Amino acid sequence: MTVRESIENKDIALIDILDVILDKGVAIKADLIISIANVDLVYLDLRVLISSVETLVQHKQGTRHTLQSNQFDKEREALINATGQPDKWQN
Amino acid sequence: MSNLLYLYGLVPSHEATTTPLPSIKGFDHDSVIYSISLNDVTAYVCELDSDYYSEETISDKINNDMEWLQEKAFHHHETVQQLAKQYTIVPLKFCTLYKSEDSLKHTIESNKEKLKETFKMLEGNEEWNLKIYCNDEQLKKKVSESNASIEAKRQEISQLPPGRQFFEKKKIDELINQELENEKNLFCEEIHEKLKKISLFGSIKKNWSKDVTGRKEKMAWNSVFLLPTPNVEEFIEEIKLDEETYGIDGWDFEVSGPWPAYHFSSFT
Repeated sequence: MTVRESIENKDIALIDILDVILDKGVAIKADLIISIANVDLVYLDLRVLISSVETLVQHKQGTRHTLQSNQFDKEREALINATGQPDKWQN
Repeated sequence: MSNLLYLYGLVPSHEATTTPLPSIKGFDHDSVIYSISLNDVTAYVCELDSDYYSEETISDKINNDMEWLQEKAFHHHETVQQLAKQYTIVPLKFCTLYKSEDSLKHTIESNKEKLKETFKMLEGNEEWNLKIYCNDEQLKKKVSESNASIEAKRQEISQLPPGRQFFEKKKIDELINQELENEKNLFCEEIHEKLKKISLFGSIKKNWSKDVTGRKEKMAWNSVFLLPTPNVEEFIEEIKLDEETYGIDGWDFEVSGPWPAYHFSSFT
């Protein structure tokens, strides 16, 4: 897997999506002007934003990639570090 | 019932006719997405019941119903993303609505030259986002130990009578905070300029507060780049390298993409 693919397959947080789809620029003018253009996200209810830093896109589409072995190794290492137990995988 | 048109994106007609659109559900569960063509430009839209959707009701939902916002924001994103996989697209902002097909066509017609230029500019290029986060406490320590103007101030204070030293030391904290912000900006600007060299364009966006990002590190930089596709690997490699070099000082780099070109297809 290339570095590019590893980023493309990463789950995207709602904050990243809102940051993009509410970008200040306007391609063409709409008939209805929705006031989100002027709403600062800081004033929105943030609990949901924060709790949704989970996967969405790939889950929904059912195309979530299985864990790659290098990623698995990284996660295992992190778990070992977190438990503070000796690493039995190490030679 | 009269209907509103929700516009997702605009695509060059010659691309739209060669690759058919897969069936995609619209903004509401009952609607489906279809295309409206006007000469060189094809618009992807769905219908919305105007009895339920108006400027007021949508604004109210956006501001008060986060679950709704979350669901609809993802729907918008996924739909445009899917279109972007197939076509060169000018993506529209969330909730871009027209009162009639005539009105939409009129808007396209009056922007056709700009759209043509934009399609040309976007072809073969990709939009990528880079957010840089910073662990302030960690960096502050480093700044406090290695910054020349802070060191000079410390020297100055040590020459003062003990009574005055107490008050002057308090001022040092302020100075450290100022220098921290300076160093953060300088650092991020340097990264930005470096990445701009392999990009067609680079822009700086607003930083989000910790409340919005939900992270413990502060967002120090939020930027967006338009890159020729062959340069994307190099762009990511550069960022990975920076991460390896500066991660130890408390810097964290988050790159995401490719995004439909929301930022760089904007014109007013």
